[in-house]
Amino acid sequence: MRQLKDGIFSLNGRELALLAACTLAIIVFSVASPYFGTPGNAATILRNSVELLLVGLGMTLLLAMGGIDVSVGIVMGLAAICVGRALEANTDPVLTALVGPIIGALLGLVTAAVVVLGRIPAIVGTLGLLGIYRTAIFILLGGQWLSGLPTGLTVLLGTSLLGVPIAAFVIVLAYIAVWVALRRTPFGLHLLAIGNSEEKARLSGIPVAKVRFATFIISGALAGLAATFYVASYRNVEMTIGSTLALDAIAAVVLGGTSILGGKCSLVGTVLGVLLLRILQNGLLLMGVPSLWQPVVTGGLLIGVLSVEVLSARLPMSPLGWARR
Amino acid sequence: MNAPFLIAKGITKRFGALTALSEVDLEIRSGEVLALLGDNGAGKSTFIKVLAGAHSPSDGELLIDGVPVAFSSPKDAASAGIATIFQELALSENLTISENVFLGRELKRSVLGVPFLRRKEMKERVAGLLKELEAHISDPQAPVGSLSGGQRQAVAICRALNLNAKLVIMDEPTAALAVAETRKVLSLTRRLAERGCAVVLISHNMADVFEVADRIIVFRRGRKVAEKMRSDTNPEEIVSYITGAHPDVRALEKTN
Ligand SMILES: Nc1ncnc2c1ncn2[C@@H]1O[C@H](COP(=O)(O)OP(=O)(O)O)[C@@H](O)[C@H]1O
Ligand SMILES: [Mg+2]
Repeated sequence: MRQLKDGIFSLNGRELALLAACTLAIIVFSVASPYFGTPGNAATILRNSVELLLVGLGMTLLLAMGGIDVSVGIVMGLAAICVGRALEANTDPVLTALVGPIIGALLGLVTAAVVVLGRIPAIVGTLGLLGIYRTAIFILLGGQWLSGLPTGLTVLLGTSLLGVPIAAFVIVLAYIAVWVALRRTPFGLHLLAIGNSEEKARLSGIPVAKVRFATFIISGALAGLAATFYVASYRNVEMTIGSTLALDAIAAVVLGGTSILGGKCSLVGTVLGVLLLRILQNGLLLMGVPSLWQPVVTGGLLIGVLSVEVLSARLPMSPLGWARR
Repeated sequence: MNAPFLIAKGITKRFGALTALSEVDLEIRSGEVLALLGDNGAGKSTFIKVLAGAHSPSDGELLIDGVPVAFSSPKDAASAGIATIFQELALSENLTISENVFLGRELKRSVLGVPFLRRKEMKERVAGLLKELEAHISDPQAPVGSLSGGQRQAVAICRALNLNAKLVIMDEPTAALAVAETRKVLSLTRRLAERGCAVVLISHNMADVFEVADRIIVFRRGRKVAEKMRSDTNPEEIVSYITGAHPDVRALEKTN
């Protein structure tokens, strides 16, 4: 239960184990494939981790609050379409970059309105939205990919400051912002209290609805920021954009030690969970495992980790598998 | 005796077809421990949830210092000086003692518009309160989930003190406690009243009630059926009010 060390990058046992798992995976894949250990491939893994990390930070907050959002991938897709359209219209690069987070935050507001005001369990409410948004993507794209988008954002995100890409600064800044909100402001305490027990939080005088709204909006904005990065680097938006992102994010966050029942979370764990997942996916691909199998690996990992937590009684479940409250 | 801190007039609470409270009138005075007794389901918890702003009454009125008030949330009641220690202690087990004591009313300082927690001040304040209460908890940074039942009561009482509450409501504070911890909580209750707080205590334990209460009110099936000064009654009489064996209660229930 206890977060003895809540420093910005302090490690507990779980996180050390994840670090060890990452290291082990790197060693195994380096031996198995001559391409894995190259600087180019390392850059690819990091590159592929960006969207998942941003979405994962939001998912960490949501799970810690006892919420969830299975529509984040599609939210990123919708925001990406808006970013793409802004690019096509040759909007100012800074404005274009902001389109993602703004659209994401607005969609987060919609999600919050549905889940909080409608008093619908988050998993069901966001599943409903997932269905609606999927069709919205199809309609917005008119059956055609956005591809060969202008390079407006590449300039913005490709630039370096003191030899470090601006993109890296933005991501580190996003991490610090989420960490400060979670560990250094009343908002973080309120979020964790709600995750522990919504009723107790309410009785303690915490504005539960407000905190839940804020968390969905933050998560949406992070998914929108991910969309900006996505469009900047791939310069296209395909029909299936983000379809496995929610699964990946939930798996990475749970792997990182955040409780699926709420009340407890680890941001460092999320970072390591994201890296481990992307390392595994990249390594398996290099070993010739078709990418079709990636969601199988992710889903299996998610179920496996949760099973171990239940069996080791870290996660209190009733004998029939429903969460004890 | 001074004017009452709080007056409840005709408080009624319905949950659908069920009437949990029916026309309850009572007064709560500063410096006095008022005990609420009654069988399970008598409406005690519902009544204090109305006082605490957790339920709004279906009918009736609350007056604080003679002024009508309407609470739409526990926060409203807290700002009016009412601190409630609920039966299902509203503490967050995943947070530390000091976080719990300040939860919902954190000390903060604004840096560039970001409300940063003043964690050191909160820790020190809570360490001081724990010492004052002789709670024998050394580390305000311990998670509440690791504390014993009595220690959790002490944390909840700290929370009430920290609010500078004028009325502290305690719902069955000793129900789950060992003898030594019960003694401690009862003496804390007395100390609260001596500090000038009004205290409302719900308890099933007659010995506890007769030890600390100044006034005793009995609820039965959502109604107030008796109100006695401790000095004017005895445990046997109170039990007869609770069970409904007392002639007054029989008469009252016959007329309805
Ligand atoms: N939130 C609620 N919804 C519906 N009925 C309730 C609720 N809370 C209490 N009740 C009912 O109101 C009655 C009084 O309950 P309660 O105030 O908890 O009694 P006590 O604390 O005296 O044991 C009981 O019949 C109980 O089932
Ligand atoms: Mg009760």
